[in-house]
Amino acid sequence: MTLRDRATRIARAGTVVTAVALLGVAGVYVRALAFTPVEVAQGEAQKIFYIHVPAAWAGLMAFFITGLLSILYLWLKDQRIDIAAAASAEVGVAFSVVILTTGPIWGKPIWGAWWTWDARLTFTLFTFLLFVGYLVLRGVLTDPGIRGRFSAVIGIMALVLVPFVHLTVYLFRTQHPAPIVLKPSRPSLPSEMLITLLTSVGVFTVLYVGFLMLRYALGLLREAREQELANDS
Amino acid sequence: MSTLRAAWHIAVKDIAIEWRTKTAFASGLVFAVLVLAVLFFSRDPTEVSSLAIAPGALWVTFTFAAMLGLNRAFLLEREMRAMDGILLTPAPRAAIFWGKFGANLAFVGAIEAISLPLFVLFYNVPIWPRLTELLLVIAMATVAFVAVGTLLSAMVVRTRYAELMLPLLLLPFLVPPLVGGVQLTASLLDGRHLSDISGWLKLIGAFDVASVTLAAVLFQVVLDE
Amino acid sequence: MPPSDLVLTARSISRRFAYRPVLTDVSLTLSRGEVLLLVGPNGAGKTTLLRVLAGLLRPSAGTVHLSAAIGMVAHDAMLYPALSARENLRFFARLHGVRDRGRVDALLTQVDLLKRGDDRVGTFSRGMLQRVAIARALLHEPGLLLFDEPLSGLDAAASRTLVALLTEFRARGTAMVLVSHELERLGRVATHMARLAAGRLGSLEPLTGRDPAAVFATLMQDT
Repeated sequence: MTLRDRATRIARAGTVVTAVALLGVAGVYVRALAFTPVEVAQGEAQKIFYIHVPAAWAGLMAFFITGLLSILYLWLKDQRIDIAAAASAEVGVAFSVVILTTGPIWGKPIWGAWWTWDARLTFTLFTFLLFVGYLVLRGVLTDPGIRGRFSAVIGIMALVLVPFVHLTVYLFRTQHPAPIVLKPSRPSLPSEMLITLLTSVGVFTVLYVGFLMLRYALGLLREAREQELANDS
Repeated sequence: MSTLRAAWHIAVKDIAIEWRTKTAFASGLVFAVLVLAVLFFSRDPTEVSSLAIAPGALWVTFTFAAMLGLNRAFLLEREMRAMDGILLTPAPRAAIFWGKFGANLAFVGAIEAISLPLFVLFYNVPIWPRLTELLLVIAMATVAFVAVGTLLSAMVVRTRYAELMLPLLLLPFLVPPLVGGVQLTASLLDGRHLSDISGWLKLIGAFDVASVTLAAVLFQVVLDE
Repeated sequence: MPPSDLVLTARSISRRFAYRPVLTDVSLTLSRGEVLLLVGPNGAGKTTLLRVLAGLLRPSAGTVHLSAAIGMVAHDAMLYPALSARENLRFFARLHGVRDRGRVDALLTQVDLLKRGDDRVGTFSRGMLQRVAIARALLHEPGLLLFDEPLSGLDAAASRTLVALLTEFRARGTAMVLVSHELERLGRVATHMARLAAGRLGSLEPLTGRDPAAVFATLMQDT
């Protein structure tokens, strides 16, 4: 199967997966707004939690997978693994933007400020910036071999060192608590909230997979185009 | 040829070259003094004591002055492709990392050694009771800066935007040693002992081990063309 | 030639860069005392091939096997401009594990730069840089030398000196690959000629006793 054919197939499948996931997201919206009880302390604004937390989960997963694919790429040296790693990073960055915008929107009515350096958001900010840097680096490297290897280096460094960033942010916040401590609603949730949350996490995972497939297909098409251009001349 | 010996030769060569021109060193130093001074003046002295901003000022200065100097190490190899000359010798490739790492440590260490007294002078902070502990903290955080910085500068030096790409890629990774450094410095200046605040120290220590190992291993990947 | 005289064996070297094939299925062997003059149009991949043979570049496919130490003189001098000629050579000598303290000065004498030994290499002319580069390449007494356009930027006198040096190396049994357009000057030093065009290597033609220009014409016709 040529690269183009494979790309087209994956794009088609990806479109279906994404469409299903988006329907799922709509479903979650409906369930969250209409069928899930309102949280007493935070009011309606709390419901953004059903988008915010799953997006955070998906974003973290995206970056983790980029890290794993980076190791795989250095080992197997297959260019498609690099394309997949970059695709995952891009999707992760997209989800990070969701987290960084929904977070403040949720926070403003509760904290009174748009940004309070809350541990989770701060951590997301740093990983977001790291992977933006990853994408910028890819942008300035033209040779696919060098681009793949250098991206993989950043990906692996992120895999190993980002947990330290997480620890740093949380240790900081433990020692210097934010003015109003925002308790992330953990599974000590009433069952309807828990179900909504878990459904949303599942939906966002599927959304991640759908986006990944689409972005990967695009990457494959680009690769096919570059190969064609090179062979023509 | 042992890795250590080859690394030593490479580090000595780097230091000799920098010593001859002193350009990067002088620039780094002047920059450090400027940053210390500007940060001192960019606050309301009635609201913010110099002691309050001192830890942050010190570490921001160290970080940025270090970043200025890190690209130097690989730029000098590119001028006449001297790195190819090294690769044509039987010197182990790992020695190139350790040699550059050592030279960078010396470079950054020298800038820190001169900025620290100036810092004490400008900010009037009581470092003497905790001097050895402070030096330990600075040393540990610097190891992390230089390990990651050496690896990343080897990568970005071949791009057109090396000066911009290095801080962009490096800073997110420096959050643990940087924040840890500031927290520990603040506690030490407050009169606390390191044993009371060991959490941050352990964090930086573990980060050192992870970052140096990672940098040494991944450097081989960066060297290949 | 007995197999122990084989210095270089390259099999099916291929190399891509940014999706374009730069070298395609290049194979080549070289024995002691053989000097290959590699010709070809600009952009044919000659520099890339030298870098692959030297081990500076990894081929996308194929293998290179060397049974001798390698020295290389390329377009860039591979030196540190801030250091003197002597310091540069001492540094590389140390990395090669060359213990003999007199070697650096002996080489500087051989390339006629002993008096300028303590001058910074950054102040040197192209010809002088070339000479220091040759000294650097010879530090460890390599059995194989690679030269990329060795005569470019050299005046007539310097060229003559270099050609004499190359002839001396050949007499001592050093194998060499010379990338150059200079058929007249280097055609007498070389034992073989081959043409690299569009990443592909043509057959090696022996040069001994033949007119280089005629051999070149034959190679041109082969494509």
